[in-house]
Amino acid sequence: MKVEDVVCPFCGCLCDDLVVEVDQNRVIGVENGCTLANEKFMGDRRLENPIRKEGRSWSDITYDAAIREAADILIDADRPLLYGWSGTHGEAQSVGVHLAELLGAVIDNTSTVCHGPSIMAIQEVGHPGCTLGQVKNRADVIVYWGANPIDAHPRHMSRYTTYADGFFVKEAFKERKVIVVDVRKTESSAVADEFIKVERGGDYAILSALRAIVRGKRDLIPPKIAGVTREQLFRVADICMQAKFGAIFFGLGLTMSPGKNKNVRNAIELTEELNRHTKFTISPMRGHWNVYGSNEVFTWITGYPYAVDFARGIAFYNPGETTSVDILRRGECDACLVVASDPGAHFPRACAEHLARIPTIQIDPHVNATTHLATLQIPVAVTGIDAEGTAYRMDGVPIRTRKLFDGTYPSDLEILSKIYARVKEAKGS
Amino acid sequence: MRAALNTGRTIRQGSYVERKNSPAYREEASSLHMNRVDMLELEIEEGDHVCVRSDQGAVVMVACPAEGLDRGEVFVCLGPFANFLVDPETHGTGMPDFKTTAVTIEPTTAPVPAVKDLMEQCGGSGYEG
Repeated sequence: MKVEDVVCPFCGCLCDDLVVEVDQNRVIGVENGCTLANEKFMGDRRLENPIRKEGRSWSDITYDAAIREAADILIDADRPLLYGWSGTHGEAQSVGVHLAELLGAVIDNTSTVCHGPSIMAIQEVGHPGCTLGQVKNRADVIVYWGANPIDAHPRHMSRYTTYADGFFVKEAFKERKVIVVDVRKTESSAVADEFIKVERGGDYAILSALRAIVRGKRDLIPPKIAGVTREQLFRVADICMQAKFGAIFFGLGLTMSPGKNKNVRNAIELTEELNRHTKFTISPMRGHWNVYGSNEVFTWITGYPYAVDFARGIAFYNPGETTSVDILRRGECDACLVVASDPGAHFPRACAEHLARIPTIQIDPHVNATTHLATLQIPVAVTGIDAEGTAYRMDGVPIRTRKLFDGTYPSDLEILSKIYARVKEAKGS
Repeated sequence: MRAALNTGRTIRQGSYVERKNSPAYREEASSLHMNRVDMLELEIEEGDHVCVRSDQGAVVMVACPAEGLDRGEVFVCLGPFANFLVDPETHGTGMPDFKTTAVTIEPTTAPVPAVKDLMEQCGGSGYEG
């Protein structure tokens, strides 16, 4: 059976034009997908059943026993951390936030190691963004700053920017100018009309220089800034100011480099300067599928988008203090629930060491690096393959995903709801 | 040799991200992309093993040449090999310095560990299933 208009559950593009061929309860073909989508659907190898570590060895347990043990670990903890959430749907994320409130826990999502600094900057100066549809139909200048979409969001260029014909941009490849800013040459920089190669750590200085040029202060610019010539910056500023509609997309090259949130703030303020001349927008390239949704869901319920601490009985947010990497490196949490993510692979080693020291429960369909650190793992259905739910695209558009078949695994929502019910009963609330 | 370690997504890393125990994931996550001249200076060839060390620890990786990198710059895809070297300090932002880790690189004949081995070094217990 072929299912049309399937939403890809891999990156923040949430491409919704895939055609997936299903035979009973497995996927046997994918059309329109990128390499990442094909691997997501076709290379799907799951953990078969819940597993528990006893001493140094592992044994299989039932779902009921795993749910009981997971709830008991969280109830016994004084400072639990509930981390992850970006690979699952909004309904499960919502239960996670309520569970955190019930436990007095810290709940954090993968923004903490991707666009957390972008959110901090947006909280300072706002977000002049737009949907990807606006970019596709209107933008004649595209800037990718510290981002490599060909590797990280392989269809971003073909669906929305470089190669995507739009209502006002009839021949995109000829009519759109593409500018790439990065510290290294990438496949994305190879297709750019202008590649600005910045010295490591030089993004803030380049952004400041461009702001000055856009403000008409060309005479203040020295011959070379962070490895970039003044002439190239003048040329790029002119391209941007002459655009009918420009769109900046920025990646982790800004959020993880020296300056972090201040880099992003400067980029937003450059966008503001450009809006004195023309229409310009700026948006983060959200990576991990429904990470934007986790920010939305956390914010609806708590007022804060990530790193929310309920230890005081109310929601408290302070990046640098209540963020997962900081809590783990300080050895502060005494239990961790990991949902739909892999901090064992993606956090610094010192954090992984603390996850191995404390009871760590993982809810995830696959064996990953965190599995080896965990005490308990509960496999679940994959949202968008054998579980349904709502996810947010990188531009904040919610999209409903469907089940492609009825599988044998419970969803994140079912497992978390059962853990929540047991914790609620134990707390007597 | 001293170098600055940069990390980021590669399409091969993304392709195997849900099969982290696989040889293909290990191959990608342990590839140290380097400038060719730096490789000449270290007297290593593509596929040779190197010990990469930061103030957080050391891990064995596999050298491979990259066209887009300046001398003194190395790149490893995000994952447990790179994160063996990254400092967890976030300077009050919640975000470690994933793009700028100072490392030293020297040739070695030691084997490249599996992801499971790295997690066991962190105190975990490898799951073989």
